[in-house]
Parts: sequence; structure tokens; C-alpha cells
Amino acid sequence: MTPTAQMSVPVSGRAASPLARALRRNRLLSAATALLVLIVLAVVILPPFLPDANATDPVHRLLPPSADHLLGTDSYGRDVFSRLVSGGRTSLGLSALITVCAAFTGMVIGLVSGFYRAVDAVVMRIMDAWMSFPAIILAMALAIGLGASIWTELIALTVLFTPFTARVIRSRVLSVAARQYIGAARVSGMRPAKILVVHVLPNVLPLALVQVVILSASAMLVDGAMSFLGMGIAPPTPTWGNMIAEGRSYLVQAPWLIVVPGLAIMACVLLLNLIGSSMRDVVDPRARALGDLQRLRARGAAR
Amino acid sequence: MAALLLRRLRDLVLILLIVGTMMFFVVRLMPGDPAMAILGPTARPQDVEALRQSMGLTGSLWNQYLSWLGNVVQGDFGTSITYHASVIPVVAEHFLPTLTLAVISTAVSFVVAVVVTFWNAVAPRNPVAALLTRLSGLGMAIPDFWIALILVLVFAVTLRWFPSSGYVSILSDPAAAAPTLVLPVICLVIGQSALFILTLRESVLGELPQTYLRTARVKGLSERQVMLGHVLPNALMPLVTQLGSNFAMMMGGIVIIESIFVIPGLGSLLLGAVFTRDFPLVQGVTLFVALMFVLVNLLVDLSYALLDPKVRVS
Repeated sequence: MTPTAQMSVPVSGRAASPLARALRRNRLLSAATALLVLIVLAVVILPPFLPDANATDPVHRLLPPSADHLLGTDSYGRDVFSRLVSGGRTSLGLSALITVCAAFTGMVIGLVSGFYRAVDAVVMRIMDAWMSFPAIILAMALAIGLGASIWTELIALTVLFTPFTARVIRSRVLSVAARQYIGAARVSGMRPAKILVVHVLPNVLPLALVQVVILSASAMLVDGAMSFLGMGIAPPTPTWGNMIAEGRSYLVQAPWLIVVPGLAIMACVLLLNLIGSSMRDVVDPRARALGDLQRLRARGAAR
Repeated sequence: MAALLLRRLRDLVLILLIVGTMMFFVVRLMPGDPAMAILGPTARPQDVEALRQSMGLTGSLWNQYLSWLGNVVQGDFGTSITYHASVIPVVAEHFLPTLTLAVISTAVSFVVAVVVTFWNAVAPRNPVAALLTRLSGLGMAIPDFWIALILVLVFAVTLRWFPSSGYVSILSDPAAAAPTLVLPVICLVIGQSALFILTLRESVLGELPQTYLRTARVKGLSERQVMLGHVLPNALMPLVTQLGSNFAMMMGGIVIIESIFVIPGLGSLLLGAVFTRDFPLVQGVTLFVALMFVLVNLLVDLSYALLDPKVRVS
């Protein structure tokens, strides 16, 4: 083994033997998944057992973390831990919804344009134009145009993320469509639409699932940024992004107001990225290069 | 080469048309009447109507669109409502801060990525290099608006090392500008360098199994010479594309960082224009941003063609 082959790789180790590699990769994957499931369970189950996230208590405002208020209180005396948990519900839920929608529309577009070459040229040109534009500006314009609400943000971010999925799915469809059994199906007189559903779709589904995971990491970041700019879900409904925005005015007196939700976003994004990239390596090793490009674009979107 | 250029120019026009058209209609979806916004609630209806007329807000949407398009083609982007000035000079005024941030942070990220990745490649057992490489996954996950606030809290408020706002043009007074740039640049570099490190490592790992490296080693080159002389030039190609793409994205306004650090760049200009319903300015800025974006990408593609003979053929 050359010394360079031992270059450390956080997500998947290429230097180790295939077995050890798979083990390590799976361990990482399972640990990350377990942590994420834990977070999701916490935000789903905990709220009824916690103080009301919107109950104000002006006497006890800006309290530091203590036994009564695990993460302190904010400028209205609301319990930060409650808000963190129910904000997690909104942020995680919305990100999941956005990515499922974007993965679905992207999958449909990718399937159709990868399979019907006549559609391909037009659709992909539009997708390219779409992608070649600073994404947050698009999302901002849409959010402002339609008025800030949960639905606007859902639409804006779905629109934003669709081309990335469409591209990835399309390239997979192209490679599947070139296989012999598709030709055999055509020759046997199967209708193209049926081939698409019966033979192509099942090959693409795992990739679409990976897309959901990878995009939800980006969606969390963009959602946080939009909430922060006041273009996402409006207070008093807590999201991690608008908690940071609200805490910004009390940066010095109550730094925990911004530290905690930021760490929460970071943890989720990190876990989702880990899970997504390990899953992608399993599902489609060749998608790596494309996935990185996509991550770049999505990351750029958060600026 | 000429064909590539022509094709890209066609795409450029197409993208500008799509973006311009889209923004025209999106902007008109925004609630609120700019004429009312300027004159206030006590204005007489005929004054509002006259102002709407002069702003090109009367007639059918389609007619408004055609006249706007006609003006744009002639280089007239209209007059900013809040700045009371023609859109082009206003945009030009806000261009330098964004350019400064984008250039500095891209350059720093590039150097960081190359140094960290090759340090790690040449000395795989060095714990610091390995740690830095591992941190790149974390860097990708840090929300930039959050780290900006944390940095302000630590370095501006508590330690008072750097100011948290107060932009100074780097051209007029570089010495005074430097401290104001430190925090915003760090915020941008964290995410960007993480991304660059990941990209570069992917491509370095892709180069390592190549047989020309065995040849290089067999002819007696040291590992360092192999890395810097043979792997680096080849592995840099994908990074160049990403760098260009990222740079183009930043030229589109670094909305969040600019607004946190109160830097009068394109991003804060746009954000302000959106909040004040300054239609012509929103359209002008987005078109300019799209133009920058496409031009930078074009330059990257051309440089790619220059660097890599294979691209020229295909």
C-alpha cells in the first residue's frame, strides 16, 4: 500500500479492505441513522410533555439555562427548549415535505425527459437555465411574490430543488434505457409508457430515495436561511431559522438563543449528508461526481 | 472553440431572456402598489395614476412586458424608486463590495483546499492534516448565517478584534478595509473551502490509481514530487469548474453575509429592493446578476477548454 492510499476519508474508506470498509461504512450509516431517528422521534413525541412553545412569561425573560428551563428563555419569556423541539417539528417536517415534493416532480421530469428524447432537449434547456441562476434570489422572489407562508416556502423550494433531482434521475434513465431488456420490451410490442413504469421506474426509485436524503440536508440550510431573512414561516410559529433571527437582537445578553438552534440545524444537516452520501455510494457509485456538483449548487443556494 | 463560444452566447441570451421574463412576472405578483408606496396613503388618486403612468405600470400586463423588454434591449432599465436614480449606476455602485468579497474568499478557499488536501496526501499520518480534512464534512453543514452571528459575538463583541460592520472600499483605503473584511470572508471561506476540499479529494483519489503515477515513482521521483508535479495539475481540473461555478454564484449577491455585516453589495441591494417594492431595481439587479453568472460560467468553460485538450475536441 502506498502512503498516499491511506489518505483519510471521513465518509467511506477506500484504503481498508472491502469487508472492513463495508463494515465501517455501515456502522457510520447506522449510527447516523439512529441519531437522526432519535431527533425525529424527539420532535414528534416530546411537545405534549413540554411547556407550551408560545406561552409568554414577561417576568422570566432571557433567563440563562437552568433546571426549570433547560435551555433558558427567550425575549418573551418562552421556554427555548420547547421552541427548539416544536421548531424542529416545523423545520424537519417542512424540509422533508419539500424534498419529497421536489424528488417527485424531479423524478417525473427526469423520467419523461430521459425516456422521450423529443421532450428532452426542451426540458433540459429550461432546467439548465433554472439552475444557472442564484437560487436564493428565485426563492426570495417567489416567497415575496406569493406572500410568506408555509405553502409559499414549500412551492418556492420545491421549484428550486426540482432541476437537481431531474438531472440526476435523467442520467440514470438514459443509462437504463440503453440496456438490452428495454430494447427487448420495445421489440415485443410493449407500449413506451408501460415500459417506463414497469421497467425503468423501479430502477430509478432507489436513486430518488437517495435524492430525498441529500436534498433534505440542503433544504434544511436553505429553509433556515429563508426563515432567517424573514421570508419563511413567520413568528410566533417557531422554526430553527426564525429562532436564530429572533435571538439575533439579544446576541450579547442571551447567546444561547442563537447557539442552540444553529447547532440543531448543523447536526441534522451533518447527519443527513452522512446518510445521503453513504447511501449514494451503495446505490450508485458513479453518481458521486454528479452528486458533488449538485451539492455545490444546493449549497450555493443557501448564500 | 468558435462553435463553443457561439453556443454559449446563444445560451447566454436565452438565459437572460428567461430570467428577465420570469422576474418581470414574479415582481408583479408582489403585493403592494409601488406608486402608492412612494406617495403615501394621503395622495390624490390622479397623482397616483400619473406616477403609475410614468413608471410603466398601466395597460395590460402583456403590454407592460413588451414595453419593458423594448426598453431593456435599448439599455434602459428604468429608474430606481428608492434611489431616485437610473438602475445601472445604482447597480454599478454596489458591485465592488460583492466582487471584493467573492474574489478574496474564493482565493482563500482555493489555497486552503489545495494546501490541506495535498498536505494530507503527502503526509497521510499527520493528525492535523487528517483532522482538517475530516472537518470539511462539518464545514458543509454549518449554516453561514449562524456562524456569522457566532463570529460577531466572539470576535467583534467579546474580543473586539474586528468590527462587525462598517464597509470601507478596498480601492480607496486598503488598510482600513482589511479588518472589516476579515469576519465576512471567514464566514464565506468555511463553507466554500469545505466544498473545495471534498471536490479536490475526490479528484485526487481518482488520480491515485492511474498508471502514470507508477511510472513517475519508478523513475525515482519522491512522493512529494509525484503529488505536486503529477497529481496536482490533473486533479485541479474539477476544482476549477467548481470554483468558477461557486464564484458565479457569489457574484449573484452574497445576500445573507452582506446583510449581517452591513456590506453595501448586490445582495443587500437586492434584499432592500425586494422589501421596498422597488420593481425596476429588483429587475435590474436580477438581470445583472444573471448576466454576471452566465459570463463567469462562460469564462470557466473557456478556461477549461484551454486547460484540457480533451474538452476542445468534444
